[in-house]
Amino acid sequence: MLTEIELQALWLSLRVGFWSTVVALPLALLAAWVLSRRRFPGRRLLDVVVHVPLVLPPVVVGYLLLILLGRQGPLGGLLHQWFEVTVVFTWQGAAIASAVMAFPLAVRAIRLSLDAVDRRLETAARTLGASPVRVFVTITLPLTAPGILAGAVLGFARSVGEFGATITFVSNIAGETRTLPLALFTAVQTPGTDPAAARLVIISVAIALVALLASELLAQRFTRHLEGRP
Amino acid sequence: MVVALARVATMLVVGAFTVGPALAETLTVLAAASTVEAVEEALGRFRAAHDQQIQASYASSSALARQIEYGAPADIFISANTRWMDYLAERGHVAAALRRNLLTNELVWITPDDGAPAPAPLDALGTQLDTRLGAGRLAVGDPDHVPAGMYARQALETLGLWDAVRDRLAPAQNVRVALMLVARGEAPLGIVYRTDAAAAVGVRIIDALPAASHAPIVYPIAVVRGHQRQTVRSLFDFLTSAEAADVFRRHGFGIP
Amino acid sequence: MIEATLRHRLGAFTLDLSFHSEGGVVALFGASGAGKTTVANLIAGLLRPDAGRIVVGGRELFDSERGIDVPPERRRLGYVFQEDRLFPHISVRRNLTYGRRPASAADPRVTLDQVVDILGLSELLGRRPAGLSSGEKQRVAIGRALLANPRLLVMDEPLTNLDAGRRAEILGFVERLRDTFAIPILYVSHSVEEIVRLADQVVAIAEGQVIAAGSVEDVMSRRELSPILGPFDAGAVMAAHVEAHDRRFELTRLGVKAGTLTVSRIDLPVGTRLRVRVRARDVILARTMPEHISTLNVLMGTVVEVAASEGSQAEVLLDVGSPLWARVTRRSVEALGLVPGIEVHALIKAVAIDREAAGYGGATLSVDDHT
Repeated sequence: MLTEIELQALWLSLRVGFWSTVVALPLALLAAWVLSRRRFPGRRLLDVVVHVPLVLPPVVVGYLLLILLGRQGPLGGLLHQWFEVTVVFTWQGAAIASAVMAFPLAVRAIRLSLDAVDRRLETAARTLGASPVRVFVTITLPLTAPGILAGAVLGFARSVGEFGATITFVSNIAGETRTLPLALFTAVQTPGTDPAAARLVIISVAIALVALLASELLAQRFTRHLEGRP
Repeated sequence: MVVALARVATMLVVGAFTVGPALAETLTVLAAASTVEAVEEALGRFRAAHDQQIQASYASSSALARQIEYGAPADIFISANTRWMDYLAERGHVAAALRRNLLTNELVWITPDDGAPAPAPLDALGTQLDTRLGAGRLAVGDPDHVPAGMYARQALETLGLWDAVRDRLAPAQNVRVALMLVARGEAPLGIVYRTDAAAAVGVRIIDALPAASHAPIVYPIAVVRGHQRQTVRSLFDFLTSAEAADVFRRHGFGIP
Repeated sequence: MIEATLRHRLGAFTLDLSFHSEGGVVALFGASGAGKTTVANLIAGLLRPDAGRIVVGGRELFDSERGIDVPPERRRLGYVFQEDRLFPHISVRRNLTYGRRPASAADPRVTLDQVVDILGLSELLGRRPAGLSSGEKQRVAIGRALLANPRLLVMDEPLTNLDAGRRAEILGFVERLRDTFAIPILYVSHSVEEIVRLADQVVAIAEGQVIAAGSVEDVMSRRELSPILGPFDAGAVMAAHVEAHDRRFELTRLGVKAGTLTVSRIDLPVGTRLRVRVRARDVILARTMPEHISTLNVLMGTVVEVAASEGSQAEVLLDVGSPLWARVTRRSVEALGLVPGIEVHALIKAVAIDREAAGYGGATLSVDDHT
């Protein structure tokens, strides 16, 4: 069965994964919408910036987060000065690192769905008296739902598996930031802990598989529902 | 500061990737992260003098030992403590005749060098550690598997400070990261090797921990078993020579 | 009801036109690419004119000089598109009520029950758009636009994407709507038959300019429209009413301004008003009254104008009490000495009956009646 350490890591991973998704998803929706529906100078640049966490080594991303959100960083300094808040060495920091790494995946999934929404339906809704906000809420959003769902689950799975950025940004503190991947790393480094390592691997793989399966099934269900098929 | 951070960043990136397959003509050296500058300089001299390709990889000794254990094609291994070298020796990966103690090191207390007047020295025994740490964390290498961290833990235990601090650590995956955390002010205090603190900008050494509080910090070097060919021996001889010793001393290491 | 002055760059040419209508059904007629859909989009606010002014029902919707531009959702217009554009994720019922607003005292109330009844939607209410046929979908789309209580209903070629059978069916429904609710309609189409059946007024457009505007009978008979209508359809439109039925020979007598036309019996009460079309190619001319011929319909009139078409053909405009076109060979023009002022007899081979004023469902396509 699972030891205290493993349960702790599992719980931490789920918690970090959950919050990172909650934070990343609305921002991803906003970014996807802006990239999909708006034309403005610098749009390509925004697209590139959104994808940066996807292409940089995670350790580098963690390091950049440290520069930004650490005590001496432009944002971190403000947080510390005004709110006495530090995110380094905390599970919230781990959630931020995970959110950043999951963000591009979520944006891609949502954008795919958004682009596929027939704009002519949105126009039709406007002729029926719906304001742009009402069009978004009643037409665009429901039709984008499968993509949002996929983005959420993909982001969650990515968060749970996040390692490089996390360990660099918030360190490997048991009970606070030692998520499953970090616990696995520790176990691998320490001799004689192969059974523990194996258990952690199994748990990690199980979570990832369940998440992906759930994403597939739910997306399918949703799409069928939207198209009115039984 | 920026330069130091850049160095640290490079090292992080390098450390994040595994060693690729070595070519027949290229020698491969796996060395503890804390030796990177010193060893690189020494290797540079050998490369120039003998026109020899050498590929070096720096990471935590535990990671490197694991790699060698699982068959990574390394020729020479420099470990940050005896334990990992013994570990490999027990499993028959070390050419016993070609093993020496290469370097020694010291543990020091560090604080951020933020331009403020130097804080009152935290004495070697670490009295007032509790107060000085406050709500912050003590940056060390991960005591579970990073040699510098293991030494630090030994020292803290001997000094009777371990219980107070064990839940207030910032365990880093290697010493350089611990250094960076202190340099950036994320952690108010840290314990690192003297050699690291000396090389870094942005941290101040307050005092050295008593040598008696921990096992001697010794860096063994060895040729990996099965790799005892002439070119490797040549390199091994050079690294254990007086010329190399000069280089190491200049970087703050001791020579046993 | 509608006053529109529009100027808008459209790629190959510039839309530059102005028209107005008092109410009823006004058709925008023209070939593909003439700019009709653009005009509809400009009026609905889906496109912003480069310059101009749009007033609907006395309310200013756009004025480039005064900086007025009411967004589409506040223009109180209904729009029926070529493709149904039903929302796939909600039921037919919810699609229908999507545009529902609280009815104001000034606006006529269109109820869900009425619309469902007239458009025959009761069986479809609980279903999703995905399972509907194209005809059913377009009916729902029309109902949906209606239920938004619009001051003006814009219909942009709503029948184009349907097959012939569906088209006839939906055309009937639109006629029912027109007759039941008093909502003004702007009907965009390139189909002569649809316009002749539905519209009161026509604005004919080519290359972004108005080439003719007025009542359907006037405009559709004009020569300027031949290029749009094509040689097959060019002809005259006449208003007619049912005078009497001949039960013995299964014939019906229609009264037109030019006299009477006899057609195969149509099942409509005496007094019903219709429109009929006589294509130029179906008219034969004679200088003297022919005897012992099978054609029942012969009208007398004078030549107004002779215009040579391509090649062997010429088009002759007659005044038989109302305009009538005949297409004959140039050789016959010379042989018969057809010049303006000459009296001729026009033999009509076939009459296309298009409009049934009280048409409830099952409306027929235009029937070429050879009598």
